[in-house]
Amino acid sequence: MLNPAIIRPEIALNDFLPIFVSSSLVLVFGGIYVGIYTAVKVKYLKPWVMVIAYAFWTLTSYCLYVMGSLMHVGSFTAKALVVAAIGLFLLPFAVYYMEDNVHKSNEHKT
Amino acid sequence: MANKSVWSDNRFWQRSATWITGFASILLIWLTFDTSAQISMGTDEDIQNGVKKKVPGATVINYRITYEMDAKRGHEVPVIGGKEKFFGRDDWSEEEAAAMLHLGKLGSQAKNCMDCHTLLGNGAYYAPDLTKAWLDPAWGPDGSMQAMTGKSTKEEAIAEFLQHPDQYPTHARMMPNLNITEKEAIGLVAFLKHMSSIDTNGFPRNFGKIKGAINGK
Amino acid sequence: MANNHLTSESKQLATWYLTFAAILFGAQLLFGLVAAIQYIVPGFLYGILDFSIARILHINALVVWMVFAMFGSVYWLLPDETGIETIGIKAGKLVYWIFVAAIVVVVLVYLFIQIGPASDATIWFITEGREYIEAPRWADLGIVVVALTFVANLFLTGIKGKQTGIVTVLMADMIAFAGLYLAGMFFTDNISVDQYWWWWVIHLWVEATWEVFVGAIAAYGLITMIGAHRKVVEMWLWIEVAMLFGSGILGLGHHYFWIGTPEYWWEIGALFSALEPLPLVAMFVHVLYDWGKTQGAQDANGDKNSVITNKPAFTWFVLNAFGNFLGAGIWGFFHTLPQVNLYTHGTQFTSAHGHLAFFGAYATILVGVMYLAVQGKNGIKVMKNTKTSIWAVSMISGGVMGMTVSLTIAGYVQVLVSRAQMGATWAGYFDGQNGLWFTQAMDWRLILGIVTFIGFLLLAKDLLTTGKDPVHER
Repeated sequence: MLNPAIIRPEIALNDFLPIFVSSSLVLVFGGIYVGIYTAVKVKYLKPWVMVIAYAFWTLTSYCLYVMGSLMHVGSFTAKALVVAAIGLFLLPFAVYYMEDNVHKSNEHKT
Repeated sequence: MANKSVWSDNRFWQRSATWITGFASILLIWLTFDTSAQISMGTDEDIQNGVKKKVPGATVINYRITYEMDAKRGHEVPVIGGKEKFFGRDDWSEEEAAAMLHLGKLGSQAKNCMDCHTLLGNGAYYAPDLTKAWLDPAWGPDGSMQAMTGKSTKEEAIAEFLQHPDQYPTHARMMPNLNITEKEAIGLVAFLKHMSSIDTNGFPRNFGKIKGAINGK
Repeated sequence: MANNHLTSESKQLATWYLTFAAILFGAQLLFGLVAAIQYIVPGFLYGILDFSIARILHINALVVWMVFAMFGSVYWLLPDETGIETIGIKAGKLVYWIFVAAIVVVVLVYLFIQIGPASDATIWFITEGREYIEAPRWADLGIVVVALTFVANLFLTGIKGKQTGIVTVLMADMIAFAGLYLAGMFFTDNISVDQYWWWWVIHLWVEATWEVFVGAIAAYGLITMIGAHRKVVEMWLWIEVAMLFGSGILGLGHHYFWIGTPEYWWEIGALFSALEPLPLVAMFVHVLYDWGKTQGAQDANGDKNSVITNKPAFTWFVLNAFGNFLGAGIWGFFHTLPQVNLYTHGTQFTSAHGHLAFFGAYATILVGVMYLAVQGKNGIKVMKNTKTSIWAVSMISGGVMGMTVSLTIAGYVQVLVSRAQMGATWAGYFDGQNGLWFTQAMDWRLILGIVTFIGFLLLAKDLLTTGKDPVHER
């Protein structure tokens, strides 16, 4: 089992609000990133807008970093957060790639 | 289609979903065995031998319980100290203590405690959390709640309050009379004392440590 | 209803389930209002219908109306998916009446008997006193019988008829859903063990099996309402199942931080909670993608009409994709890590998350199915929004969102005052409750609760009348 000897510093009173705000923004920005990415791919938006999508992903990662450091997360949770950030980055690529593949293979059949 | 990739293959994803679900379920079942062993209730012998259980046996009501910072674990843990009288006795047998705890736990459900209070932080948020209520300074020798009931010990004060909550106006939001008998009240106090001895990984933080309000916001 | 367009018995039964679900939805809101008033005027109905009773009815009505609507949804889509009439429809109808009768009895007992002495008889016949699953044990057994009949109907029909991906997912999901209920039926003196298994029911329902159910219904909705390609939708459904169960099953860990369970649940809970929002984000992308693609294909054919055949239902389905992400995703994520959950656990934050997540993830899509049923029952080809539909959806979602924000503010006060500064004692608790921000937030919660309730009345009116409205294409 994992070593339970984790010393967890208390959260400073003034840090609570930034923690809640940053952790909400993680998903807000993450959602916008994924939304813009998909919208560009299905040609609702012009290709150059993709830059904005990546900018939002950067903001997401920054918010995750702020949240993690204010909470004083342990090394394990910190790694989990990095994995989550990378996962969120890859998510729309994977989803789009798969959906498009199925679409194409079906259009040819019917 | 020639370039049919595995990523757009329905069967591939069906199998993946099955494997992932199966794997997660097996992991959960394995963890459940481990956790179940760790949270099974201890015995009187464990307490006497100083064996630390996450959930001590019912005879913990014969002992003094405190909530202290554990430097190694980085949070507070309940500490079982020396003998302490509970309703005049500190030699409740394993059977007697278990019967009291049983009545108390049954009572906590029969009276819907969890639909106003939180127990171990779960329940409704209309009334205070009861996880460590036994250790609340308000019920202690200098506490306002004990003084209000006119009783000289913590357990008697809580039992008195539980039987007539509508006679002790503690707050505009008063606890209603739930027809709790004296025997049930004693059982409920045993249940509360036992719950305060459960090792909740430091929840709630700083319980009872901060005396005056700092009045921040 | 003189001219009924339903030829399928299964769909007929579905409308019964959905109707009773809508009635219970109203009851849920009504008792929620009582509880909200009691936060502001504690003497309201004191000793007659105390907060605990109002809350039991509020949350039990919630669970039961959703279960009813879920059963209804399945009976609705089964004939479409399998291509045959549902098997065992007579048993289904009989069980429906048993279920309704049992609920009426349980509600009457809650209302008039309320509590009992600390004895097994109370657990068997009055209340089990465990949040969300307070129903007494006799009713538990009844629910098991009802659920087994439902699952049997689903399986027999699925095996005999065409077994589509949606039906396969539903079959697997519903048996897990029914089986998990058994974990919540026993009594133990050990409260840690009690809550350990209690969470198996609550969490594995709402954060695993119900979410997968929603995925299946959304898939059905996309196929029927905008004509999305079945193969795309079904492949996506499998991915969704993998992601939801992959993160949701072990996400159970975030309920095991503080109930006496070992510390390793911190890491497990944190890791899988961080992953839990991903399928919700993905679900949102998927709806956007399918809508864009099918509309794009139609536009390319020179047809400028919308691909949506049921506007109000589609509105609720889109709201579901968004609300799931917002309520379960954002509102779940910001208090889920153990470092901060230590302070937020058991505060109004949980309540805020509960309101928005149950609404966003479940209420929305089930109301959507109700509109699908109205469309089918009245033989409407393209169903349009009426003024009432728009007002209803706006007031309900605005009201719930407003309640959520109010409760979040109240929770924030509790975290700062009661928890971080006062260490969670009795005195600390009431210091937080008396704070100006807290009491103001509770006032706003009630006001927005009333808005939600008016929205519900409009919704009920719309569901009852829109079927006969001449604006729809028939």
